[in-house]
Amino acid sequence: MTVVIQMLINGILLGSVYALLGVGMSMIFGIVRLTNLAHGEFIIIGAYGSTLLSLALGVDPILTLVITVPVMFIAGVLIQTVLINRVMLQGSEPALLVTFGLSIILKDALLLLFTADARHANVPYSTATIRLPAGLHIAVLDLVVFAISLATILILTLFLRYTYMGRAIRATSDDTAAASLMGVSVRRTYGIAMGIAMATAAVAGLGVGMRWTFYPSSGGDYLLIAFGVVVIGGMGSIPGTLVAGLIFGLAQVIGGANYGMLISYLLLILMLAVRPQGLFSK
Amino acid sequence: MSEPILKVEGLQAKYGDFLAVESATLDVPAGKIVSVIGANGARKSTLMETIAGIHKPSAGKVTFKGEDITGMPAEKLVLRGLSLVPQGSRCFVRMSVEDNLIMGSYPKHARARVKESLDFVYQLFPVLKEKRHQPTSSLSGGQRQMVAIGRALMAWPDLILFDEISLGLAPAIIKDIYARIREINAGGTTVVLVEQDTNRAIRTAEYTHVMLKGRVVLSGRSKELGEEEIKKAYFGL
Amino acid sequence: MKIPVLLDRKKTKAASSGGQVRVLDGVPMLAACVAIAAALYIFGLTGVLSSNIQRYLLKIFLYCTLSSMWNLMSGYTGMTSLGQQTYIGLAGYSLTVMTATYAMSYWVGFLVGAVISTIVSLILAIILFRMRGMYFAVATWVVAEALRTFFTSWKFVKKGAGMTVAARPYPSTSTIYIIALTLCIIALAVVYFLLKSRVGLGLTAMRDDPDAASSVGVDIFKSKLLVYVVSAIFTALAGGIFYLNKGSIYPAGGFGISWTVSMVFIVIIGGIGTMGGPVLGSILYVIFEEQLAKLPGGWTNIVLGLIAILVILFLPDGILGTLQKKLRFEILSQKRFSGE
Repeated sequence: MTVVIQMLINGILLGSVYALLGVGMSMIFGIVRLTNLAHGEFIIIGAYGSTLLSLALGVDPILTLVITVPVMFIAGVLIQTVLINRVMLQGSEPALLVTFGLSIILKDALLLLFTADARHANVPYSTATIRLPAGLHIAVLDLVVFAISLATILILTLFLRYTYMGRAIRATSDDTAAASLMGVSVRRTYGIAMGIAMATAAVAGLGVGMRWTFYPSSGGDYLLIAFGVVVIGGMGSIPGTLVAGLIFGLAQVIGGANYGMLISYLLLILMLAVRPQGLFSK
Repeated sequence: MSEPILKVEGLQAKYGDFLAVESATLDVPAGKIVSVIGANGARKSTLMETIAGIHKPSAGKVTFKGEDITGMPAEKLVLRGLSLVPQGSRCFVRMSVEDNLIMGSYPKHARARVKESLDFVYQLFPVLKEKRHQPTSSLSGGQRQMVAIGRALMAWPDLILFDEISLGLAPAIIKDIYARIREINAGGTTVVLVEQDTNRAIRTAEYTHVMLKGRVVLSGRSKELGEEEIKKAYFGL
Repeated sequence: MKIPVLLDRKKTKAASSGGQVRVLDGVPMLAACVAIAAALYIFGLTGVLSSNIQRYLLKIFLYCTLSSMWNLMSGYTGMTSLGQQTYIGLAGYSLTVMTATYAMSYWVGFLVGAVISTIVSLILAIILFRMRGMYFAVATWVVAEALRTFFTSWKFVKKGAGMTVAARPYPSTSTIYIIALTLCIIALAVVYFLLKSRVGLGLTAMRDDPDAASSVGVDIFKSKLLVYVVSAIFTALAGGIFYLNKGSIYPAGGFGISWTVSMVFIVIIGGIGTMGGPVLGSILYVIFEEQLAKLPGGWTNIVLGLIAILVILFLPDGILGTLQKKLRFEILSQKRFSGE
């Protein structure tokens, strides 16, 4: 029994990070109708940003978000408005292939810049645990990352629900032409959406860097987890994203180091075959 | 006759190589109700979408409040006071009634007045106030049209184009919506009614334009146009 | 009448270049193709070419086979796959296991690779054909990743460490050159005749206009299945020959996404949806790859990626596609109604 509860706890903690990995991709999928194959590399860029800045400045990695989030937001806006909006004129496939091109460029650029060495964002509490009754325990690090993930998703939800820009983003994802009749510039909204997606990737990168070691080539793994979260959660659905993250987290915890990924992939293929539109989309 | 608020001269619109609107010329006098009628396939909707900036025209000129707005995108025209209520209402189905309405006040000039605007729309359509937290996907066709109208009003436009507002609605609801449109017009907003249902539109509008196969073939004061004349133009006899 | 998405304005414009298109087809073109093929055979058999040149050429043949198949799927039938490495990995491992574990001939290895790929592609088709567009694309990738993960922890194939091909006697480069050339010629012929057939007609119609396709009277599911399975078989054969030439395989290489990177790059720079695009693209790709390998470490994919993005931005029809449109000609046109 204790083992099962411990697994559930670990699964939930892990699931929150997975949800964070997927939330930006889900937004772009739902709003811009684009599969951003570079999302994994965006996350790894965030991880490098936080790790290296915290080393250079000698501060807690969490504080580096003050720099990485705005920088990556601006980068996202630029990538969308300068590059992707232009190719979207030609249809969705060229846009998909452009993000694919971006992904391989970024991966090798990271390799050139930072070598193939494993990296990790160090925090003083990296080995601390909280002991609970009945032999259960929670790693402080996991709990911190859990809190960061949930806070990010909560802020995003509030933003989408209660601000003009958030409503404009939702309206654009429903009906682009009708949104433009309300005075919304679709291209600008796409730019902001990509900026936000990249800002969430910055936070997700911090989480990745704090919990695991990462390499320039790690982007692909996280992209597939993010995609899995999008598929199971349904595009653009935040509650769906949370549940999907949890499902993946549990699959990973149950499968362990050897079979966790395999189980996740099989789950994903099964999901795609049975409900290609996601569990939570209408 | 006063200076028209909207002047359309020789407007042409294409879908790829396909010539949808050949040449449309019409005036809309300020403060009036004007109807544009025509059979199915007369390209009324395409003309409205081109005026409202959803399509780019391939030739011709559109002047709104004395300014040349030819080819200007929809999101800029809303700021200048021109709104379109598109065919089939096109509500944001995954958003609540109130969020749909608030989207209408997205233009900067309308944001400060959002509370006042909401009160105005709820007074015009009390049923929307009851259902304000429901998603628009749960509304009836008539209620969705009300949301679409209210959403356009939230931007305080000077000119509203209504594209086939009565399509698929029960007569009693059409009557009610037309009464509201007259109220809106009485408040000073110029109204263009695009309809297939000619009788009600002509009765409501002071001026009428008849479209046939992508051209405006007949224009005049509704009262001065003979029934026979309109029928001929409408069916291209 | 629906209001089209705002961003789609340009598409309709590009489709309507109109005018007379000269189709390079028929006897002269056939004669030219036969002459080139014959020359390549003679060069290979007589040993005029140095083994280095033979290696370049055989790489071109294999990439040409792979990318023609990818082009058949994506460019003509709208099935953009990011997971064709599934079949390369399966074939590479079939070859290695057959030769190393069971000491059989490499021909048996190819055969087993092709049979396994046929079976796997038939099963996957049932799942994948339920999905569209991006879902299809990423699902194919997920399948390849799942296989990579599985092979990495599968003891029978020595896990992540990989295996060595052990064909006895090991064929010479000239032999592999001839095999690769033969495969490439057959692959191009298959693509050509498939697209000329009713099946191809129906699929091209479906890609351009799903509504019109049903009126052509072709069973879309069967046609897509045929294209998918044929692509899987040829991709597997090319993969098998590639690993026979390379001599060893490991999961991250065989099932790696870089295979798709190459195919996408080749088809995009050559010209998606053109018959000659993959041929031209493969030649350019192998030249680029060889030249870029001389650069100080790690720039290959960065430069290739940049070139691909620039081509998508400024030459959306690829090099050959752009030339064809500008000069109004087409090599071996598959469109029977190109005049319309």
